[in-house]
Amino acid sequence: MSIAQSLESVQFLSDFSESVLAYPIVLSTHLTCIALFGGMILMTNLRLLGLTFKSVTITQMVTSLRPWKRLGGTVMVCTGLLLATCEATKYAPNPFFWTKMAVLGLILLHGAVFRPIVYNRTEELDKSPVIPASVKVAAYLSLFLWIAMFTMGRLIAYWD
Amino acid sequence: MLIQNALVDALNDTEWAFPLAECVHIGGFAVAVGSIALVDFRLLNLGLRHESTSRILRYTELWTIFALIFVIFSGFMLYISQTGVYRINPIFPIKMYILLAALVYNFTIHRKVAVMKDPPPALSKVVAGVSLLLWVAIVFGGIFTGFLE
Repeated sequence: MSIAQSLESVQFLSDFSESVLAYPIVLSTHLTCIALFGGMILMTNLRLLGLTFKSVTITQMVTSLRPWKRLGGTVMVCTGLLLATCEATKYAPNPFFWTKMAVLGLILLHGAVFRPIVYNRTEELDKSPVIPASVKVAAYLSLFLWIAMFTMGRLIAYWD
Repeated sequence: MLIQNALVDALNDTEWAFPLAECVHIGGFAVAVGSIALVDFRLLNLGLRHESTSRILRYTELWTIFALIFVIFSGFMLYISQTGVYRINPIFPIKMYILLAALVYNFTIHRKVAVMKDPPPALSKVVAGVSLLLWVAIVFGGIFTGFLE
């Protein structure tokens, strides 16, 4: 039995995928996180680009929303894990799913690369008269990766 | 009518048009709901506390409006491509009523409280809570439209 098949045969997961209510509720929660916390990520990026929230310092923008983004990210990953594992045999051969996972990997890499030079140095950035290029690169890449993320997520449903 | 038919044909005949409209719909509501949620989080005292709610509203409002235009337009495209399916769907009309309520609420009561100088904390919290509930209900309504046929 393949890994995907054995995952699907877990009683709890097969109950979940057959449930009329549980599956759409978890999917809706996944989407709600995109709306609430994806919106926060977008606004933070727009602040980094100097497009809005000009009187709010980068430090305030990044630190005051950070716990909520972390919470949203956790809920997003947990619900996503549930959605993918309960239909593991459908997801395993799906190229959009694996592209989405690759994008997720790039998002983690983005965090690892830019945390020390952007997100953990916001106080310096607030003192700087111009927004450095590295900050703009971080913001544009983040926007691009998140758009790729939800686009691939939607396309998963279209592959058969 | 002719234009509408042309649009419907384009959505149904091209493989990528429907998923593209769905992606615009998702991206749009992320921006719209996310930007409104920032105002709500401030009203609830959960974030961006150094800035006034009215300022946050001013920064986010244009993004909200533009995003709403994109969401409603892409949603309308999705609707007219399969009117038959949506017309008999039990959840879809509920989603539309809540959407109407949320839109009216957002630009009346919600806005009024957000621009107030010192709104009573209880009022701010109730207004923000109702706003979040309405928008989250619409997201759920969208998913349930697809699942309960």
